[in-house]
Amino acid sequence: MNHSRTDVVVGIFVLGGIICLGYLTIRLGKLELFGNPGYVVYADFASVAGLKLGDPVEIAGVKVGKVESLALADDRARITVRLEPQVKLQEDAIASVRARGLIGDKFVLVTPGASDKIIVPGGKIRETESPPDITDLIGKVVGGDLTSKSEKKPE
Amino acid sequence: MKRYLNFPVIALILLSFWLTPGLAVGGVPTDQIKSTVDKALVVLRDPRFKPTAKTKERREQLKQILFARFDFTEMAKRSLGANWRRRTPKEQEEFVRLFTDLLERAYADTIESYGDEKIVYVGERLDGGYADVSSKVHTSKGEEFSLNYRAHFVGGEWRVYDVVVENISMVNNYRSQFNRVISNASYEELVRRLKDKAAFPVQKN
Repeated sequence: MNHSRTDVVVGIFVLGGIICLGYLTIRLGKLELFGNPGYVVYADFASVAGLKLGDPVEIAGVKVGKVESLALADDRARITVRLEPQVKLQEDAIASVRARGLIGDKFVLVTPGASDKIIVPGGKIRETESPPDITDLIGKVVGGDLTSKSEKKPE
Repeated sequence: MKRYLNFPVIALILLSFWLTPGLAVGGVPTDQIKSTVDKALVVLRDPRFKPTAKTKERREQLKQILFARFDFTEMAKRSLGANWRRRTPKEQEEFVRLFTDLLERAYADTIESYGDEKIVYVGERLDGGYADVSSKVHTSKGEEFSLNYRAHFVGGEWRVYDVVVENISMVNNYRSQFNRVISNASYEELVRRLKDKAAFPVQKN
């Protein structure tokens, strides 16, 4: 026994510290070492303007998943989302890209449907709603006022 | 062979290229929806129905045309969302009736003010038994908005179960409204409100 008792205690302490540091790094950096839990479904939108990777997927304001990838499929935006395993989506669930407030962060809101059929892992959320383009709408309101001949059609 | 590639042949080839996108746009779902919308527009433009006395008759005709193409049961079911499965078949039946009345009250006046609009069908997306038909409406005021129909194939026909105006889905709009009432109060309260509205229709101005 060359080592004193103190050396061993210090060793264990340092080891414990390193493990804690590793744990913190993984948690804070949101690294996923042990594979992703849950399952993936995809959805096609006409536009997902402003949506980013990792943005939350919510049902009734509760986070149930996140956006895992954004890509282009034909001329539409295809997003894949990873949902928590216990979440079941009906076939007629509607996914819509929403913003918190007028210009806030984007998220995907899912409203549960009435169908008995459940979307299987790897399946598709068929019903989607793209965000209305605020600039476009403002343009329409302003432009519409300027171009319209009369407010009301003559009876 | 070279002499065959004269002007008419080239013109024909070019013409066929020019025509192809037009043909690709109009699939069966588009044709069926278009024929329904056209029929409705004919009724709306018919001068025979212009007098106020004929309004009821015209509305009856429009209803017949639209009921054949729009699947109001599916629309009501989807609008109620997750709560649909918790209702008994009898309650579901009652809800479909109330929902159809709601739509009639909400949209009849709007639809009846149409007639001079120009509608262009710009695309169609097929996905198994489901189709998404997009159109653009040009109003007489020179405004333009997008109007998409979501249809599914049932009983040998394409029937519309959702209408999306400027990216706003009607079903999703009603779904969030109904869910809010149900979670704040109850399903019975929702039915009561729908009935109330039926008994006292919104007065214009």
